[in-house]
Amino acid sequence: MAQPRTVLITGVGGYWGARLAARLAAVPDLHVIGLDTTPLKTGIRGLDFVQTDVRNPLLADFMREEKVDAVCHLAFVESNRRSEANFDLNVMGTMKVFGACTAAGVRKIVCRSSTAVYGAHPENPAFLGEERALAPTSRTGTVRDLVEIEAFCNGFRSQWPDIALNVLRFPSIVGPAVDTPMTRFLHSHLTPTLMGFDPLMQIIHEADVVEALWHSLCCDAPGVFNVAAEGVLPLSRLMALGGKPLAPPVFHLAAYWGNPLLGGMGMPVGRLWPIELEYLRYPWVGDLCKMREILEFAPTYSAAAALREFTARRRLAHYTSDGGRSAQDEELLRDTIERRRRARQRAVAVNPQGSLEIGVEQGEEDFV
Amino acid sequence: MTSNTRPRCAALTKAGEPCKNYALADSSLCRAHQGAAPAPAEPSEAALRQELSVELDNLIARVESSDGDYRPPPFSPQALLGLLNHNLRRLSPESVEALLHKLRGYVNSDLLDLDTWKGIWYIVNYALQQQADMVKRRFSGEYETDDWGFDPEFLAIVQPFLTFMYRRYWRIEASGIENIPEEGPALLTPNHSGQLPWDGAMVGTAVYLEHPSQRLVRSLYASWFPTLPFLSSIFVKAGQTLASVENGTRLLEENQLVAVYPEGIKGVGKLYRDRYRLARFGRGGFVRMALRAQAPIIPVSVVGAEETYISLHKSEAIARLIGFPFFPITPTWPLLGLFGFIPLPTKWHIDFGEPIPMDQYGPDAANNLVLVSQLTDQIRNIVQQMIHQRLAQRRSVFFG
Repeated sequence: MAQPRTVLITGVGGYWGARLAARLAAVPDLHVIGLDTTPLKTGIRGLDFVQTDVRNPLLADFMREEKVDAVCHLAFVESNRRSEANFDLNVMGTMKVFGACTAAGVRKIVCRSSTAVYGAHPENPAFLGEERALAPTSRTGTVRDLVEIEAFCNGFRSQWPDIALNVLRFPSIVGPAVDTPMTRFLHSHLTPTLMGFDPLMQIIHEADVVEALWHSLCCDAPGVFNVAAEGVLPLSRLMALGGKPLAPPVFHLAAYWGNPLLGGMGMPVGRLWPIELEYLRYPWVGDLCKMREILEFAPTYSAAAALREFTARRRLAHYTSDGGRSAQDEELLRDTIERRRRARQRAVAVNPQGSLEIGVEQGEEDFV
Repeated sequence: MTSNTRPRCAALTKAGEPCKNYALADSSLCRAHQGAAPAPAEPSEAALRQELSVELDNLIARVESSDGDYRPPPFSPQALLGLLNHNLRRLSPESVEALLHKLRGYVNSDLLDLDTWKGIWYIVNYALQQQADMVKRRFSGEYETDDWGFDPEFLAIVQPFLTFMYRRYWRIEASGIENIPEEGPALLTPNHSGQLPWDGAMVGTAVYLEHPSQRLVRSLYASWFPTLPFLSSIFVKAGQTLASVENGTRLLEENQLVAVYPEGIKGVGKLYRDRYRLARFGRGGFVRMALRAQAPIIPVSVVGAEETYISLHKSEAIARLIGFPFFPITPTWPLLGLFGFIPLPTKWHIDFGEPIPMDQYGPDAANNLVLVSQLTDQIRNIVQQMIHQRLAQRRSVFFG
């Protein structure tokens, strides 16, 4: 499928919706419509904002009227608590949006999930394939709702084979701006780990999440995909790269028994362990073969590069009022130009048929 | 004419000058030195010089290929001696003396030219720099691990201990190491024994120490180990991974050398009276991964590991209480606490058998249940026979 003409982004007021809308503003010949219940705090250039709830029964009429041909469903509230209101927006909202898509003749739907749905188990293979049965070990509302949504998506896919549905499972997301359990973990002063456990982990850079969403809106490969940066890191190396080489280890049984105890005494255990214990103990690494070969997506940041950037920005934030953003802007742009050039060259090397692009310049390879 | 191209004598005169006589036709020495000097020492000196400079060149080439950015500080004789002096303090007095004598001998006999000294300077500096940087690199995360979590620096740290256990403690003799291919996939299937997975570590060490290309053995471990603190992370850092058909097939498809212990926990937890009687070979998962990846299976027998701990009884109750798959009672464990972990210094033999090719069966053969169970039994019988052969030759448990 070529580039869609009209894209509808639900939850455009949220972090990912806003990021994607800002990214799509730069795309020519594309009408971007954003939905959210509350007005946007900052305007996004070129965005056609409509204030409505995704559960509105007239959504199908609106989409038919606007000739929407692709939907990126990002209206999702992340929360540790299991609340009925969140469930209603996350799961019922997804069902209603998908229902409206079938009525409005949408050809493409993309939604976001997490590799946490596989669950962290001792018997997990080193690389989890997309077809693996979901067995989450998380008790958070986020993962419960994601599993519900994925189950619904499976049924939807067989019922509506004409609609290309992409579900992207992302691992922990890091980046200078985003707030996720992993960034909270790396930002906190105490980063306790489980003594003697060093699970392999995947991450992805926030910019690559946005790129992956846009890539799957344009591509013609429906299905579920793990999308992560190249490079699987042991937790210890991840934290060293993330600027936390000295993590206090906690005996795992003490953590398992102590957490409910401390929680019962009113201590903010969730702030101490933004990532649940099981996910710091066992591996939950997704297999990226499908991402590379079928989705044909190549993240621009490697896992180590994403963490290096994250750490550099956090260090700089101590010294500048704007979190070091302006000071590093030029540096970042230069990095981005270089990284994209290299990604293009890689793509040419992998797929020599389309090798009409520029050749590899000597000496450029060493640039990091 | 011919006399000009004849080589000169390689020996030194009493004054330390090179001998000016022509060498004899069948040796590198002249008539005078032939009888007088101890023959093997003198001719080897020229060869030694050659060998040393070649070795140095090789080392430098290796350093340069692995770390192109490294530049040594500028060379001067004083600096080199200072550096040596500074670092010799770490060595024992005897070895310092021996080393200095050797160096002195070389300096006096002007065997080495300035370039060789520069080479020594380069290598010594690089080795020290690497060691000093290591702590820094570990703290900043700037070291390499592969997608399976293998950490070469970690393995380099534990390798001396494993080598000690291999060479000195169990005095392991390995045979048939040539059956392991130089490259390409292969699946090792040893028997499992000895309460703790020492045999896995030793099979890996055997291949590392004895095989010309020092291949890394990727052992597959039981799903109980990831639940244990420390062991789980140590196994992963040493390049091993969880036993599953997905993992094994993927590793073989990546042309790795994989070791799988088909007996699993049943094999490790054998009672002493059942020693060297193979347990069931799993559910044939190892054959399926070899068939899928079309990788040859190399049967391996480990003899000697069964006697490292003498398991008299297995306590079901304690095992269930603490969540272990089995809990052995040995004469020293749990009676003497951690001392019970010290294995007995038995004599081991590790035999690598002839590879059994899997590529004649075709890619769909992994789904052929009859074939899979036939091959499983066949390999189990081969391993059992190899064990019996070795046991028949063995005269003593401790001396082999």
